[in-house]
Amino acid sequence: MTFASSPSDIRAPSSLTVSPTPVLECADLTKSFGSRLAVDGVGFRICEGEVYGLLGPNGAGKTTTMKMVCGLLEPDKGTISIAGKQAIGNLEVKFLIGYVPQDVALYPDLTAGENLAFLARLYKLGRRTVAARVDEALELTELSDRRDDRIDSFSGGMKRRLNIAAGLLNHPKLLVLDEPTVGVDPQSRHAILERVQAFGREGLAVVYTTHYMEEAERVCDRVGIIDHGHLIAEGTRRELVAQLGEQDRIELSASGDLERLAEACRSVDGVSSAATADKSVHLVATGGRHLLPAILEAADAAGIEVTSVEVVEPDLEAVFLHLTGTALRE
Amino acid sequence: MRTALAIARKDLRQRIRDRSAIVVGVIAPVAIAGLMSLAFNGMNSFHFTLGLVELDHGPVAVELAKALDAPQLRQVITVSEVSSTALARAEIKSGYLGAALVIPAGFSAAVTGEHPESLTTLSSNDGSIVGSVTTSIASSFVAQVNADRLAFATALAAGAPRGDAAQLIGVVSKLHIPLQAVQQAVGAHELKVISYYSPGMGVFFLLFTINYASRSFFVDRSQGMIERMRAAPVSPVEILLGKALSVFVYGVVSLATIGVVTTAAFGADWGAPLPAALVGLALVFSVICLTALVIGVARTQRQAEGISSILVFGLALLGGDFFFISSAPSTIKHLALLTPNGWAIRGFTDLATIGGGLGTIVEPVVAILVISAVIGAIALSLARRAVTA
Repeated sequence: MTFASSPSDIRAPSSLTVSPTPVLECADLTKSFGSRLAVDGVGFRICEGEVYGLLGPNGAGKTTTMKMVCGLLEPDKGTISIAGKQAIGNLEVKFLIGYVPQDVALYPDLTAGENLAFLARLYKLGRRTVAARVDEALELTELSDRRDDRIDSFSGGMKRRLNIAAGLLNHPKLLVLDEPTVGVDPQSRHAILERVQAFGREGLAVVYTTHYMEEAERVCDRVGIIDHGHLIAEGTRRELVAQLGEQDRIELSASGDLERLAEACRSVDGVSSAATADKSVHLVATGGRHLLPAILEAADAAGIEVTSVEVVEPDLEAVFLHLTGTALRE
Repeated sequence: MRTALAIARKDLRQRIRDRSAIVVGVIAPVAIAGLMSLAFNGMNSFHFTLGLVELDHGPVAVELAKALDAPQLRQVITVSEVSSTALARAEIKSGYLGAALVIPAGFSAAVTGEHPESLTTLSSNDGSIVGSVTTSIASSFVAQVNADRLAFATALAAGAPRGDAAQLIGVVSKLHIPLQAVQQAVGAHELKVISYYSPGMGVFFLLFTINYASRSFFVDRSQGMIERMRAAPVSPVEILLGKALSVFVYGVVSLATIGVVTTAAFGADWGAPLPAALVGLALVFSVICLTALVIGVARTQRQAEGISSILVFGLALLGGDFFFISSAPSTIKHLALLTPNGWAIRGFTDLATIGGGLGTIVEPVVAILVISAVIGAIALSLARRAVTA
């Protein structure tokens, strides 16, 4: 695992046949909104065929970073290069980018075919090419039979799939997916994640932002962990988890004051981090299983009844907790 | 330009699919212009029934009755004799009579005597012009009588013998007040009500495009579509141009349809087609600039709706879309010249009354374009910021 982030520190994933050609290189990206520093010195590099996950909680700076990459926001500082071309203020570079926004961005009163054709025309494609790309996108999303139906009659999952397909109409080199599975049912989510993995295999460079650790672990070749506008760590899952050493993640479910429980657990020798999340307390601890009696004793002393305990193999959630002292979904 | 056309095409498709577009763009203006024409059509041929309550039966009263029956007044009034003041009041109330003139008993005797008697006019309380016209006719007759009396008195003062009074009265009664006010229209043709309200309503509903187009921009933005367009190789200017093109096409089609329908169905006169089209095109251009201004000033869809509604009704009131600007107070007449719609209505009515060709509309078209250029210059930078926000 490596701490972010000079390009020389970054290795291409070993599990895939990835060309080392960088598609996206950004360095020292900084953006403020008034006095609030949203992104501070973020830099990373993505190569062809690589799926790069930007993992962080809501408000960490993921979307702001993606908007700067896509030319929707101008950075206060830093550089962005796409396929070797300087990207800031360069309209031509946008031909190389496919952008899939966080919320479904399609016209509900237009049909699937009309939406896709309109978006394809924005890339100045000829009539025949537009028609071919629309067919291709509808096939990809398995919505060919719904071509003439208005979007407002589609299910949430269908809209999401079409939203992603719209980002591929220009056959981009770089696909930017900003939390594409938010609010999606498990079946559609599974389909989307499968598709994202396939994009990588097909040679696309993909940036995938998410606050779901499981998604980042499943689809990304490398992950950058972002918090409070800083890229705090970067590497493959294995590299990042290795940073924890012998530490485990322990999840305690309890009734009562969870903050108090977290505070009690922090006093136990061997517990390096404790934070509340999703009606439970997450701990990172060395030799987790052996510490359980001491942890339960501390909880009892704090007057809190622990209802369940789970020791989890080290994962990105534990890495995030270890690095920031807070849970990813706090 | 290709991208701007794609955006315009998409906007128009959405606009047409929204059925309210046809209602607001064509059906409503045609219907309201027709209704206004029906409501105000009487203004072209002003006429009412005047009740005459003749309680005097003297020679002067007979002269007054004859005067009311004069051919010049027949286009304006029909005289109906009524037996009493009370009956006249009742018939005015029922609407049978527009007004009544009461000649009191002893009126003729009072003309040559020392105790004056007054003619009384009766009219409804609704501020109708009928009462004023009746009073004016009565005043005119009284002025003539007073002039006769003055001439009679002057003759006597100059030494005419009193015994020749009957002869003198005969002479002075043939004299008439020499000065008269005569109304003459400036234009070659009289302006029909429908020829005013058709462009008035067409222009008014065209202004509503500001509301629709600015709202549509903010809907696009809230749906993430402006961002999606900007993620593609499309500049903010191309996005605005596409939006402007759709407003242009919709505005031109709407105004042209209203023109054709009101001309064919109601006989409205919009003037010669080419100059009228140029006035319309200039106005549509100003609507585009006003839309850009609303997009630039508003921050949200709700603000855009509020601002554009105020703008549309403000402009319509100032520009004379709802009433004949020629009968408005002078302040409103001056303010109308600051509005593009005021100039457009002036252009259309000039074409309908003065006639002529391009020369007639040079001033209105130039005025509209100057106003639009000023608005457009302010709006463009603000609207660009709205696209990139």
